[in-house]
Amino acid sequence: MTATEFGIVYAVHIITSHFGSVASKVCECLLRRGPLSSREISRLAESDINHTKVKDILYLLIHHNCVQAFSIDPPDGSESKPTVQYIALFRNIIHGARYNKFSKVVNEELGSQCSGLLDGLLSNGRLTLEQLIDRDRDSKKPMGSEVIRDSLQKLVAARFIERVPSPEPVLGNKDEGPAQKKRGAKASKIFKEPESLEERILEAATPVDAIRFPFIFEQDSSSTVADDDSNIPEGKRKQPEVDYSSGPSNEVIWRPNFEELIRRLRHKACVEIVKERRDEGCANVMKAMLEVGRSQEKKAKTDKSVPMSMGSIYEELIKTDAGREMTQARVEACLEQLSATSSYLPAFVIESDDSYIVDFKSIISVAQKDEMESVVMRRYGKEAFRMFRYLSQEDRFVETDKIADAALTEKKDTPQILLKMWRDGYLHMQKLAVTGVYMPFLLWKVNKLIVSRQMLDEMYHASLNLSLRLTHEKDSEKELLLLPMEKLEGALKERRNKYRAKSVLLTSASFKLDDAILLFHDF
Amino acid sequence: MSKRKRPEPKSSSSGINEDEKNILGLIRSKQGMGATTYEMRTATKIQPTLVTRAVASLKKSNLIKEVPNMNNKGIKHFLAVEFQPCKELTGGDWYIDGALDVSKIEGLKEICVRILERLKSKVVTLDVIYSYFEKASSDADKLSREQTREILKNLVLDNVVMEVKSNGLTDFSATRIGEICYKLTGKKSGGGEVRDGGFASVPCGACPHIGLCTPDGVISPTTCVYFQKWLDF
Repeated sequence: MTATEFGIVYAVHIITSHFGSVASKVCECLLRRGPLSSREISRLAESDINHTKVKDILYLLIHHNCVQAFSIDPPDGSESKPTVQYIALFRNIIHGARYNKFSKVVNEELGSQCSGLLDGLLSNGRLTLEQLIDRDRDSKKPMGSEVIRDSLQKLVAARFIERVPSPEPVLGNKDEGPAQKKRGAKASKIFKEPESLEERILEAATPVDAIRFPFIFEQDSSSTVADDDSNIPEGKRKQPEVDYSSGPSNEVIWRPNFEELIRRLRHKACVEIVKERRDEGCANVMKAMLEVGRSQEKKAKTDKSVPMSMGSIYEELIKTDAGREMTQARVEACLEQLSATSSYLPAFVIESDDSYIVDFKSIISVAQKDEMESVVMRRYGKEAFRMFRYLSQEDRFVETDKIADAALTEKKDTPQILLKMWRDGYLHMQKLAVTGVYMPFLLWKVNKLIVSRQMLDEMYHASLNLSLRLTHEKDSEKELLLLPMEKLEGALKERRNKYRAKSVLLTSASFKLDDAILLFHDF
Repeated sequence: MSKRKRPEPKSSSSGINEDEKNILGLIRSKQGMGATTYEMRTATKIQPTLVTRAVASLKKSNLIKEVPNMNNKGIKHFLAVEFQPCKELTGGDWYIDGALDVSKIEGLKEICVRILERLKSKVVTLDVIYSYFEKASSDADKLSREQTREILKNLVLDNVVMEVKSNGLTDFSATRIGEICYKLTGKKSGGGEVRDGGFASVPCGACPHIGLCTPDGVISPTTCVYFQKWLDF
């Protein structure tokens, strides 16, 4: 899904708060106009930013994984050199508001030392092992270089961090398909026509797994691998302006692997949905299933898992305390429950030939539906909620009177309610003129794709509003916040407490809202 | 030289003229929906004044009746006397004097939920619920099978009740395989709770003016009254 209008505004707001307004101008220019060269950016960016400054900002944004450089091969026979272009990575920019979620995931799985290391990478963008050790040395509670090395190894093994991608992949001409197919043996095996330019660039920039997540990453061995750069075909590799794949001492540079971090959040969300909609037992079974299938997931947004046997699920389940309490018969009952379909819940698991497949799409769709319906309920009321649910169920154009009959709502009020939802983009409407009938018939439909996009845009808008409101609250109590808490008394103390309550509410609401954004954009 | 006799405007047998005959035919063909004067004009191509005259005459001779359209009081439908106005004109079983009987519907929905709560088997078929309404003491509470289904469908749209297909096992042991059954949603019945929306729980999720809100506009997060109310501790 491409960035919506308020998605761009929110992304620009995040960049402004992290890197200042000049960087945000460059970023906005890229987000609104698509891939551009540095010269084009300095010409098109709203305020006057000279070419050198634009380049500095681009390197800063690349360092923080918000921009990716690339170039496209000139057409065959052309003498011109390929120009370097830059593309803003909208997804990565939005991740900037959810670093604490990523940190929590790592903390739960690998402990605080690893999450501390990830925090360093999240806030600094890219670091080498040496830089991580230096950072630790300067901290209040140093962990020691051995611990850092171990933690880094654990993070790479769990794929939470990765070696930085190729700094400037060269894309083949659009017509020149085979140039892409040549890349790496593994890539050709799973080759699938990439959908967008961004996906093509990222695919071309990402090294093969052996280089991306090396088992041994000591200085010598890694530098050999880095120089090798076997994922880019011979003759396509152009000397980059600044090489980001390795540091000055040829050491490997690491960065957070958002793909894996998002996958873990997606799995966590799926377990949570199953727990809410079924029970604890089903959630445990789902957790085990996700663990079994995880290593074989090719991308974060997979629709269905690989088929897995009852034996492998049970084997994984008994590794956990909660799982050990379950008998095989209980697990079978849970799987049966998970495969059941009703008007209320779709099947979460598909059973075929004694194996089970997790249907991610249907689990996520339940949570998306809940989000949509709760907004309709709050904004338009109970009658509208019924109409919206009816139209979602029907998934076709239905005439106004039929909707009123099905939802048992007053026929005179029905068109007004439907029109209100249509005006806000929650419904799709078509007029059907029939000869001999004075008034045209109005037909209505819920177009899930349009509603999702509309809601996503509004959610970005709401996130921006929550963040702006928090800044506003902070600014209005600026002087009070400078005073030490223990010295405050009476009315001032009360004001400070009120501020704290407000900021807790705003932060937790934006945290929860981001969960909803993840549902619609990243899962 | 004798002239050919002109046809009489009134047909002697039924006492109505040709125009009236055409209009009556049209009205009869439309059965319970009847026809509006606009439809009569376009379908028969008779002049407006003649249509009005013919309709008045047919009404006088008790061959047609006038029924208002509940959707639009201004539009009158003319039905042949032998037909009852259809659902589209009256609104259907749930309408009384052109208005939806909301209190009756809500009352019936409550009864349905109470029945489902009271029943030992968590899953019931339409017939079980219908039997309760069939036996009802007062006429007002008596429902047809179709009406019972409509009430249950409405509860499904309210997300209070869910529709499940019987698989003949455990909870469904008393039902035929494949039969549509109803059960309450919520934790107790194994359906779980619908999650509170993250977006709906912030003021912007329910805001009718979100489309007009901009960071520096007249409506903005810093001046928003809904935010003010939400953050009023």
